[in-house]
Amino acid sequence: MLKIEAKKELPGFSLDVRLTAESGILAILGPSGSGKTMTLQSVAGLMKPDEGYVEVNGRVLFDSKNKINLPVQKRKVGFVFQHYALFPHLNVWDNIAYGLKDTPKDEIRAKIKQLLENMNIDGLEGRFPRQLSAGQQQRVAIARALAPEPDVLLLDEPFSALDPVLKERLELELMDLQNVFGGSILFVTHDLNEGYKLGSNVAVYHSGAIIQHDTKENVFSHPVNRDVAKMTGMRNLIEGVITGIDGKNITVDVPSWGESLRVVSDRAANYFLNQEIILGIRPEYISLTDKPGENTLAAAVSHKMEGIASSNYRLRIKSDTSEKRYLEAVISKSSAGPLPEDSDCYLHLHPELLVIMAE
Amino acid sequence: MTDYLEPLLVSLKTVTVTTAVTFFLGIAAARWMARYEGRFKSLIDGLFILPLVLPPTVVGYILLLVFGVNGPIGKTLLALGEKIVFSWEATVIAATVMAFPIMYMTAKGAFEQVEPNIEAAARTLGAGEWRVFWTVTLPLAKAGVIAATVLAFARSLGEFGATLMLAGNIAGKTQTIPIAIYFAIQAGDMDKAMVLCIIVLAISFVSLAAIAYWKGMAAKMKPVKVS
Repeated sequence: MLKIEAKKELPGFSLDVRLTAESGILAILGPSGSGKTMTLQSVAGLMKPDEGYVEVNGRVLFDSKNKINLPVQKRKVGFVFQHYALFPHLNVWDNIAYGLKDTPKDEIRAKIKQLLENMNIDGLEGRFPRQLSAGQQQRVAIARALAPEPDVLLLDEPFSALDPVLKERLELELMDLQNVFGGSILFVTHDLNEGYKLGSNVAVYHSGAIIQHDTKENVFSHPVNRDVAKMTGMRNLIEGVITGIDGKNITVDVPSWGESLRVVSDRAANYFLNQEIILGIRPEYISLTDKPGENTLAAAVSHKMEGIASSNYRLRIKSDTSEKRYLEAVISKSSAGPLPEDSDCYLHLHPELLVIMAE
Repeated sequence: MTDYLEPLLVSLKTVTVTTAVTFFLGIAAARWMARYEGRFKSLIDGLFILPLVLPPTVVGYILLLVFGVNGPIGKTLLALGEKIVFSWEATVIAATVMAFPIMYMTAKGAFEQVEPNIEAAARTLGAGEWRVFWTVTLPLAKAGVIAATVLAFARSLGEFGATLMLAGNIAGKTQTIPIAIYFAIQAGDMDKAMVLCIIVLAISFVSLAAIAYWKGMAAKMKPVKVS
């Protein structure tokens, strides 16, 4: 159990966050410069917030009101730095042993052997960091952080330096890490997919504040506002007005398109008639159809970028009042034939996949 | 023979003590300033480097003011029975003041090159500042610190102006090799000057070669990259 409150004023930036984490992985998601790393630093004691409170498993590490500020050394926080920050002059064994200073020799040996095995790096103990691949370095960094048995593990952009294939493998390993490490794991990322795949809970950061802190399902399916929606990859957003609510079915008029859309939401009770809302849909959720119908819009392909498995389209809704507004769609090649630029098509916006936001 | 031996011994003694003192003072100051972010950063930094940009005679004059029998420190020491001016200790003081900036600057540069996150990692692993410094910062800044020490050694070996002003030219006591060379030439004794010059050349060359050899050994000890 981890509780964090941190306020910090810097020239041109202010941090004001409040977080809780159970055991399991909490993903801190946000663009660079939004205060994610600073949050980890205030937990570890590498940065002192102007005001705040940090508690790990009932142990208070920092409390500005009661003037408690445990030094970094006493916090029992495992930190995996962005570029791992391994000691370049020490081999793998000594890197891992660094945090085990006051442990008896034979215990150190047993512990390191166990960690080498758990992290799948046995046989590398004599190598120096520069002789390791990025993936091995990451494993050593995690092993080193786990060696003194910390209460919480913090990982700062652990996958940013890796190629996609390796990244996927190490993401799976991080999931497995929960089996050997029982405490909370906080990890910082700017990558949506990573945040979604790994975090059981997600905190979305935006310029020094948390704009949504919830389960990942809620964050990705029910963003509280357009900032969260944009940050979580919901790139199509348009203003609308609620004109009808019937059970889970909500009718939304979109004036810009002169269209009325049906939305299915299990949160229908939160909305009211004539409420002005934002309607959103992920580019991946837009599908093509060949004839007009419910929730179907006539569109023209404006730009196309072909990928391996799916293609990105920029589409103009024909009835749109603005010439400059586009919908973005990512359409799988298995579901649609080739759609050249300037061709016409019908887009289907599935009622279950449309999302309503209050602001 | 004593003509050569005396300046050589004075120089060796002075340079050894000076290099040792400068080494610790310079490293302490450099470590402190490398991570210091206070408002007096530029001021303190400027003060530490000042002797490097001032003419040695100006430094010598200031040292005379400070350590002279009427100066603030000189007076105190005199009360304790120590007279600094024209003593052997004065050669060390003058050379230390002149060698310090170069030790400080070079070591500071080396400490600043150490990735702050690597030191932070050591702290999160429970290491106190002292352990961080000895096991992480210093080993990672080793090459720079060695270079700094060599430069400080060279600077103190070559020290002339400030030493002459504060310590004078007392044979067997404060007459270092550079001062002996100067007075030999003044007296027209070109042969003596030449022998002393050759001694300086030899010391410099042997020290540099020793350090290059040491560095080379250190590099060989490091394992090579296996792919």
